Amino acid sequence: MDIGQLQNLFKRDGYRMTERQHWQIAFLKQARSDWEAYQRTSPAVWPACHRLLFLQMASEKLGKAVLIASHSTLETIIQSHTAFVMFMRVAGNNQKLQKALGMKKAQQRAQFKTLLPLAHEIERLAPALAQGGQNPEYPWKEASGNILAPADYPFPLMQRLHQTPHGIQLLNYIEFFVKRFEELFM
Amino acid sequence: MSQNHHIGNAAEDLIKEQFELEPSLEQIVWIDSDKTTEIRLLEINPETPPLESVLAFYFPPYEELPYATHIAEIRPEVWQKILRHEISLPEGWTLDNYKIYSREMVTV
Repeated sequence: MDIGQLQNLFKRDGYRMTERQHWQIAFLKQARSDWEAYQRTSPAVWPACHRLLFLQMASEKLGKAVLIASHSTLETIIQSHTAFVMFMRVAGNNQKLQKALGMKKAQQRAQFKTLLPLAHEIERLAPALAQGGQNPEYPWKEASGNILAPADYPFPLMQRLHQTPHGIQLLNYIEFFVKRFEELFM
Repeated sequence: MSQNHHIGNAAEDLIKEQFELEPSLEQIVWIDSDKTTEIRLLEINPETPPLESVLAFYFPPYEELPYATHIAEIRPEVWQKILRHEISLPEGWTLDNYKIYSREMVTV
């Protein structure tokens, strides 16, 4: 069921969506849009910084869309940049996800754990977490004194995401979560 | 676990499973353990990323665990700050009724 079908179902049943549900749907829409932008920015044409920025934004909003269904304050959720890694750490508790992936809880948790280092790398791309270092949005100064623009930096993370089994697996999972969010998390 | 499983047994089964699955978990705090409709857990894990807030995730009920579950992972020092009211719990969560579980308590 996609967002439109979900909204229609709520209307049909006379169900009034709560403000938090509106926030959740809005975060999900933006995560999908960011993910689409990531996929549409061809590596042959676009510098890695732009693609990674879209990827970081998609993963952060995906985590926030899940968080909003619980009780953390909206202010805490919106201000946090660490939703994705936390989401990957606890996703092993999601029974629907286990069924969809055909895994046991222990298997799923173990597999997600192996992906955490890369998830951390994506999360730390957020300029707020980069502590003045490498990030895909703003220039930074290296220890050597060189000042670099993100557009000039190759970001080895991009290669690891597209050319290693863990990287490919993590991207596949993000796509899976983004596409089947309503079924898995709502 | 059957549908009519009492929430207390369901929560303790879940807590035991969490300890089995996650070797780095130190303690689990069952928050608002007097609630009969949902389970709220704080998992205290030194390996979780350092955060000065509590991010709780929602897991819908399913056949074997027919209660909505909310789980937040926090570091040990964050739990201490929560106890000193320096860090807030998620909305509606209180320290009025909580139970702390250690690995030894549930695996013996």
